[in-house]
Amino acid sequence: MSSEVLTTDIKTKRPSGHPGWNEFVFSMKRLFKNPLTIIGVVIILFFVVLAVFAPILAPPPRPHNPFLMPHKGWQIQPTPPSAENPLGTLPSQYDILYGVIWGSRNAFRIGIAVVAANLLVGLILGSIAGYFGGILDEIVMRIADIFYAIPILVMAMALVVALGRGLKSVVVVLIILNWPTYTRVVRSEILVVRNMDYILAARASGASHLRILFKHVLPNSIFSAIIVASMNVGVTVLIAAALSFLGLGSDSGYADWGAMVATCRNYIVGPPENRLAYWYLVFIPGFTIALFVLGWNLLGDAVRDVFDPRMRRR
Amino acid sequence: MEKLIETQDLYTDFFTFEGVVKALNGVSVVVNEGETYGLVGESGCGKSVTVRSMMRIVQTPGKIVDGKVVIFFRAEDRSRGIDILKRSETYMTSLRGDSISMIFQEASTSLNPVLSIGFQVGESFNFHRRAQMLEETIQDLEKELAARVFFLIRGWKAMQRALFRRELAVLRSYEAEIDRIDHELYEIENQNDRKSLHRKVLLNRRRDRLREKSFLVEFLKRFPFISYYQRRETKTVRRHVVELLRSLGVPNPDRVVDSYPHELSGGMQQRIVIAIALACHPVLLIADEPTSNLDVTIQAQIVDLIKQLKQTKISSVLFITHDLGLVAEICDRASVMYAGDISETAEVREIFHNPLHPYTQGLLRSVPKIKQADQLNTIPGTVPGLVNPPSGCRFNPRCPSKMDICAQEKPLLIEHSPGHWVACYLYTDGNK
Amino acid sequence: MSLLNYIIRRLLFMILVLFGVSLLVFSVLMLIPPGMRVAAYVTSEKIPPDQIEAMIELYGLNDPAPVQYFRWLARIFRGDLGFSATAEAPVIEGFKKFFPITLELVLYSTPLIILVGIWLGTTGAVKKDKPADHAIRILAIVGYSLPTFWLGLLLLMFFYGFLGIFPPGILSVKGGEVINAAGWNRVTGLITIDAIINWRWDIFLDALYHVALPTINLIILDSALIMRLMRSSMLEALGQDYVRTALAKGAPSRVVYHTHVRRNALLPVITISGVLFAGLMAGMVITETIFVRKGIGWWMARAALQLDVPAIMFNVLFLGLIFVGVNLIVDLIYAAIDPRIRLG
Repeated sequence: MSSEVLTTDIKTKRPSGHPGWNEFVFSMKRLFKNPLTIIGVVIILFFVVLAVFAPILAPPPRPHNPFLMPHKGWQIQPTPPSAENPLGTLPSQYDILYGVIWGSRNAFRIGIAVVAANLLVGLILGSIAGYFGGILDEIVMRIADIFYAIPILVMAMALVVALGRGLKSVVVVLIILNWPTYTRVVRSEILVVRNMDYILAARASGASHLRILFKHVLPNSIFSAIIVASMNVGVTVLIAAALSFLGLGSDSGYADWGAMVATCRNYIVGPPENRLAYWYLVFIPGFTIALFVLGWNLLGDAVRDVFDPRMRRR
Repeated sequence: MEKLIETQDLYTDFFTFEGVVKALNGVSVVVNEGETYGLVGESGCGKSVTVRSMMRIVQTPGKIVDGKVVIFFRAEDRSRGIDILKRSETYMTSLRGDSISMIFQEASTSLNPVLSIGFQVGESFNFHRRAQMLEETIQDLEKELAARVFFLIRGWKAMQRALFRRELAVLRSYEAEIDRIDHELYEIENQNDRKSLHRKVLLNRRRDRLREKSFLVEFLKRFPFISYYQRRETKTVRRHVVELLRSLGVPNPDRVVDSYPHELSGGMQQRIVIAIALACHPVLLIADEPTSNLDVTIQAQIVDLIKQLKQTKISSVLFITHDLGLVAEICDRASVMYAGDISETAEVREIFHNPLHPYTQGLLRSVPKIKQADQLNTIPGTVPGLVNPPSGCRFNPRCPSKMDICAQEKPLLIEHSPGHWVACYLYTDGNK
Repeated sequence: MSLLNYIIRRLLFMILVLFGVSLLVFSVLMLIPPGMRVAAYVTSEKIPPDQIEAMIELYGLNDPAPVQYFRWLARIFRGDLGFSATAEAPVIEGFKKFFPITLELVLYSTPLIILVGIWLGTTGAVKKDKPADHAIRILAIVGYSLPTFWLGLLLLMFFYGFLGIFPPGILSVKGGEVINAAGWNRVTGLITIDAIINWRWDIFLDALYHVALPTINLIILDSALIMRLMRSSMLEALGQDYVRTALAKGAPSRVVYHTHVRRNALLPVITISGVLFAGLMAGMVITETIFVRKGIGWWMARAALQLDVPAIMFNVLFLGLIFVGVNLIVDLIYAAIDPRIRLG
């Protein structure tokens, strides 16, 4: 009598499918309810389109090195937006629009390279530190603390001096300086997971450390790392732009947003009749960076809000 | 026995992301003067929500959507009572901690970790008995000024006295005004024509907007060194706090007053929480599972303390618990709740010897007896989710005596025998 | 006893980290070819190219790394930090000249950033989900995303270029003359303080005028961090049980927010204030470059471009020291405030 009564009246939707997938769908739904997320995603997609379709949107005059901005003439003074240069030109007549489009490809290259490499390093080191613990853990964390003690920009400058200028250095430097963040996140997740009963069960049934690590521990810990990674892309590009702005990144004429902003330092104030004459120079490249970073930050914020366990089931 | 507080058909909903949780489904509870009333039920049945609705401190996203909560605290209110759901927030603020107090389950998290015990208990005195504290301070100052004292100190004390007097005067006029407003609100309490409703709104708004502080005093309180004069009043409050703690059996009250919550044991923390609740001699004490997290021995101490206090300091106690043994021990009357409904209300003896509602019967059956040798009895099924609760009587999916009408309409609470109310179709229309 | 314990542990930790930092800096140093490193040992400006090899040998720049490390450490402890080409003076002198300028800006900005952040963050939490809250959240996220250099340039373009107020630099030309003249008593190196000491209010106002725009710049950018933290910290505190107790006591909501919630919510903000302070020191690189304020940030930027190795190394070391020191102080403040730590 009792079991029949139980099942008929209770109207619960029985979820079908893999629980991991259901969680994912739930997260996606929550994610997109937030208008800020949508704005962030739209912004990022916009830049993705710019980056992917760069060859079509802005055909490079020099196919073997598309990142060199085209310039018609050698006149130093920048020209305002016109039919020929829709967004105006930088000093020495580099087309701003071209720079913006190819700059997004450049930004993505830098951002993804750094973040991907950091994720890898973070996963490896974080797993070692978190899973095996003990003295390995202590060593890794102490070294991470030391890296944390020095502000990134300053250290980046020092390293770039040591390694030589150029975008390659910038990327390498950013990878080197960002690894503690990822390592810490992965490590703390692993510390939580490591003590769970299903790990103990796996050990009891004779699984090797490596197998446990790959099959059980990592899949559960990787989420946070991905969240941190998504939040970090914006900051990484910002620092890379700052380094370029200071002159430590790419050479002049290269389609790098930071470098483009650097060129406007002499043109902040226009001639007395029109003191805002070079507004496009000051405003546009920097605005592109701001928009790009804003998009990633919005997304990262929303992602974090969705996955924050305290706010998840509200 | 005279009614003290009652809820009439209280509906409280929580508007969450997953849907509307219909936590209270028309709850009617009556607590009389001088009695200990028990509210029993499983976890999640709505006991806490009921008392929080009664005190109007339901947490967001919850809202009281229908019903009344009527209090009969003053002798004059006996005939009519005051529906506090219609009163302003400042009215509630003055009730809470003064006439109705509440103590909670987890004492350690109920106390603010960065404020001292003396401060937290003293707040009760400062919110509700400030006039009294000020008067005593002024009296002390007068006595000191009467003695011969060095003239600079004399000047300082005189200034203190003057400031306190000013504060007291403003406070008194504020209280007089509040009394007038409350009195008028009481007069037109039950009048619902347009003019009266408009007047009520005006009065409530005015009550909220009244400022009980003197501008001068508030300004000086923020002044770096001059504000030290307030310390005099703090001393008076501290005296009362120490006395209160001592009467509750807290050892070394002078030291405890200066210490912080994390330095005390669980039982001691719970006594502090009780002290905070009792500081102003409330008429009703609501205890929300105060002993569930304590050791059995400490539990006994606290229960004894509450029994003792009921005779001296408080009038009635509303005790929430899921422990039937505790109910049997200290409660006079009790209600059994299930999933937001009141199933049965009666004197404790009646509930144990003559349970009417199938849920109550199931509960009592499931308590293991000493000589029991076979399987434990359970009530089959699980407590339903309250976003989509069962229609009609919420217990019907699990009820062994279920009838067709049970799933259609909610049964009303009827008085089956004097003092014994039950909400079940088994007892309507002359059944049984 | 546990408080003393705590302090000692933090001190030891700090010393350890400092050593680690020195090691790190040194490894970066080793990446630089010896030819450039020779610059650290020279007290004049240029080295004749033929003498470089000889000097490398002389100063043992080809010796094994550990030997060089300890030699380098010894030199630092002796106070000999090399000659900086960009400063055209020994590094120590350069530091004395540039540091006060940076300190001045940081000292003016930090309290304002913290105050603005706390104020707006509290407002956002108290008025959650109302228009004010949304506006504050958007402000915070935008502020966080803006590139430092862009906002500075925009502000300069608008205020200085268009409106003609808030010029870049530390002082006006006339002010600069006064500072460098004979009658000026340079006590601290911070222009505003020195101006008061010298009783020259015109210089004081001049310096203030020049420091205003960089301060506004920093406030917009960095208070976002504090704002967000304060808001989430308050929201978390509001969910705690003791808030429920306070309400049940009959505390008016204003008292609940200000007395009970805010004290608990401020604790994380204090921790981050340390990070903020140290981070500001570092972020000065860009701000000083844009506003042409000759502090250590400006020095660092030029040193990086001109490969002035001693200056760079010194600055990195110094900033690491500041970071660690500030963190220690913040920890101590935290311990003093939170009774849970103070009384064990």
